[in-house]
Parts: sequence; C-alpha cells; structure tokens
Amino acid sequence: MTAFALEAERVSVSYGKFLAVESADLSVAPGECVAVIGPNGHGKSSLVTALAGLVRRGGDVRVFGQTLRAGDPRAAVRAGLVLVPERRHLYPDLTTRDNIMLGSYSRTRRFRARRAWDDVAGVLDMFPELERTLGQKAGTLSGGQQQMVALARAMAAQPRILLLDEPCLGLAEAVARRVYEWLRSMAATDMTIVLVEENPASALTVAGRAVRMHNGLTDPEEAARA
Amino acid sequence: MSNFLNLLAAGLTSGAIYGIFGACLAVWFRVCNVLNLAVGDFAMIGAIGTAVLVQSSGLPFGAAIVVDLVAVALIAWLFDRLVLHFAFDRSGGGAHGVVGVFFYTFGLSLVLEGAVRALFGTDVHGAPAIWSGPALAIAGFHVQRAGILVIALAVVSGLALWAYLRFTVSGRAASAAGESTLGSRIVGIDSALFRRRIFIMTAVLAALFGIVESPMSGFTYSSGPTISLIGVVAAGFAAFRKPGRAVAAGLAMGVAEAMLGGYVSTSYNDVLLYAILFGIIILRPEVLGLRTRPA
Repeated sequence: MTAFALEAERVSVSYGKFLAVESADLSVAPGECVAVIGPNGHGKSSLVTALAGLVRRGGDVRVFGQTLRAGDPRAAVRAGLVLVPERRHLYPDLTTRDNIMLGSYSRTRRFRARRAWDDVAGVLDMFPELERTLGQKAGTLSGGQQQMVALARAMAAQPRILLLDEPCLGLAEAVARRVYEWLRSMAATDMTIVLVEENPASALTVAGRAVRMHNGLTDPEEAARA
Repeated sequence: MSNFLNLLAAGLTSGAIYGIFGACLAVWFRVCNVLNLAVGDFAMIGAIGTAVLVQSSGLPFGAAIVVDLVAVALIAWLFDRLVLHFAFDRSGGGAHGVVGVFFYTFGLSLVLEGAVRALFGTDVHGAPAIWSGPALAIAGFHVQRAGILVIALAVVSGLALWAYLRFTVSGRAASAAGESTLGSRIVGIDSALFRRRIFIMTAVLAALFGIVESPMSGFTYSSGPTISLIGVVAAGFAAFRKPGRAVAAGLAMGVAEAMLGGYVSTSYNDVLLYAILFGIIILRPEVLGLRTRPA
C-alpha cells in the first residue's frame, strides 16, 4: 500500500522551445488537500494539466502507486485523477444535464444518454442550484453556474483525486465563497485535492499546506515549511 | 393536380440529394467545426467505381458495391491518418486552423477528381439500378424507383444520425468533442477517434448515396464539387450542426426549387440555390473560416 495518493517526480512540460515546468515534485497523501501557489506564468496550470495527461511531459506520475502514461488523459481519468480546468471548458451548446453526464464518459457502459444520466444524477445533491438549469444550454448559464457545472461534471467521474485550477477565477465574491464552501466540504471527506491558486491566503483556508512554484520549479523549502 | 404531384415527387428526389449531403457535412462539422468539401467526391467515387467494377471487371453488382465502399473507407482513413491527424492532433488541437483544414479537404477533392479522370476518363458513368423497372405510378404521379430509394436512404440516414446525436452517450460525446477539445479530453473522450470514425462513416454514406442515385443522373469525374456545394446550402439551414434538420431542409429546398421551376421558370433554379448560399455566407461566415465559433 503506497503512502501517497499522488506522486509527481521531476515533472517537466515544454511548449516547443518554451520550458513551462522545468522540474516539479509533488507528493499528496490520501485525503490531503494541498495548494499549489505562485504568481501567474510560473507553471502551476501547466503542472496540473500535465498531471491530468492533457499535455506531454517528462518525469514520473503515480496515482495510488499506479504509474500514469504521459499524455494520456483517459488513463488519468480511469485512475481517478480528474481535473477541473481554468475557464471550465464546458460544452456550451449542450445542456447542463449532458455536461454533467459526460463526466462519467470514461466509466459508463451505458448506450443511452438517459440511462447514463440516471447513474450520475446523485451529484445534484451537492449542487441543488443546478436542478432548475438541467435543460438549459451551458453556454447560457452565469459564470457561477458554469463553475458549478464544471465541479459537478468532475464529481460525475467519481474522482479519487481532484485537481482544481483557479476555480474562483473571474467569479463574483459571493460565488467564490460558495465554491470555497463546497471545497471545504470535500476536504472534510477522504477526497484528495490539489488546488491551484494565485492567492495563498485564500488557498490556505482550504488546504493544509502549500507548495510554491517559481520559474517552473517547485520550492522544497516552502513545501517543508507549510 | 397531377402536375403538382409530379413536381412534388421530383422535388423530393432532388431535395433528398441536397439533404443527405447536408447531413454528411453537418455531422462532421459538429465534431470538427470544419466543412468537408470532398464529400461530393466520395459520392462520385461510389458511383463511378461501382460502375467500372461491374462493367470492366465483371464483378457481381453486390460484390462491386462492397469493394467500392471498402475502397472509399480506406481512402478516408488514409486521409485522416496522413493529413487530418497532423492538422488536429499534432498541432495542439488546431494550430492549422479551420481555414487550413477546410482547404485540405478542398485539396482532397482535387486529388480525387484528378485520379478518377486519369483512371476512368471523362465519360458519364452510372452504377446499375438497385431496384430496376419502369417509373411507378402512385395516385396520379410518377416517381422513379431509384428516386424512391434516394428519398428513403436520405430519410433513414437523417433519422439515424439525429437519433445517434440526441439519444446516445456516444453521440453526446461526439458533440462535446466539437464543442471543446480540451473539455472533452478531460473526461476521457477521444476526439480524434470520433473525428476519424465520422469522417469515414460520412464518406461511405456519400459513396452509397452516389451508387443509389447514379442510375438517375450519371456521374463524371467533376460531379463532386457541385454536390458538396448543394450540401453546404442544406447544412447551412441546419446551422451546420444538425444532420436531421439538414435532411428536412434539403427536402424543402428541392420541393421549392421544383415548384419554382414548374410554375415560374426553370431558369430561376440556380438563382435560388446561389441566393441561399450567399445568404448563408453572409449570415454564417464561419463556414469559410472567416469567423470561428466561441469556445
């Protein structure tokens, strides 16, 4: 039994000649909530995007001891590593119901969309405000509602580890409070969470410790101090 | 009354042609946000390939259809692996842009035309009729048997594509792949797989349609672009994303065109078609990559 839910060692990400992440190390225990903090443009989003298999990377990533192949998002989702990306990336012409239902795409064996929805409808218990928007196209929802749909879509995947990239970016204060309230409720369960935030004060209201990223490198001192 | 019914039958037949190609264009556009300008050329290969296989090689008609459709599927698969794969998958999800891919499909159209011209010449070809015999007289109007097959194939294909996209998890995932590449990859949807499958499926469907339709009109090596163009018009009525509606729109266009030709003048047919096309280009410029849909 591994001691860590998520282990990333010497992870590097480059876009052409630009090195976004030079070498990042991150270890997260099961049930732990860790914040990845640092100024914009220092590699935080690139790191979590690489962990989720969405970009090619160097280094090793293990989820509950299982090594993940680089650049394979399906393998990441199947291993229980689910990303809520910055700016949400919903399907604007599909309904709230379809957006949430597709969160279960990698694990559902259902042929009919209605049946697949029945399997995941329970996530609405966490987001009751979405109930009346189920038939509405996601592109017509407010920013706060869209963020709730993105979180519900991630929960429909039945994650073991949630990666959240700036979940409150561009949201009104009241909506951001709601998102953090939900995050705290998740952190109180056995969910493992990696929260990317520019603002350390906000992040540490949820996370037990923080890892700072600077110029594409994780800062071991910061990680140890927190 | 019988004149009206005959015009209606002729309109539905030509409308089915508009509709099926509109549906092929719309379903691929829904997944990739790009029009496939080679779809008409796949129909041309379906018709000419089957005709040549039957006439020159002596293959039984059924076997010729199978060989031809497999060849079309292979061409579509090769184009995806050699061109679309690099345009979509290796460029971070579309650095080549919709304009680039749009012209790649135009290039495929030119290559297919050139190849068929070199191999089979400039003659008009028509596959044998699947349902042969004289035109059927039903309640005072006459309709060709191939026409009935054309209408039936269009309606069945349109309904099947509509049901696939509306009711199945796979159809929803295909739509999501077109809505947001990154958003679909996050949940494990393989957008490249959907792009490839639907490109091949629409190529085969177009080829099958060419085989069924060719006994009525015949095909030459240069028939493809005209077919693609009328497909664009029908797909435009369906916001380029709804194949079922594209079939309905195509049928309506065909009937309007036939009525205009029958009661006013046939010289307005093309005017109507191109007026609709220009309207679409003005109202929906993303067709030509002049404006992209918001992410």
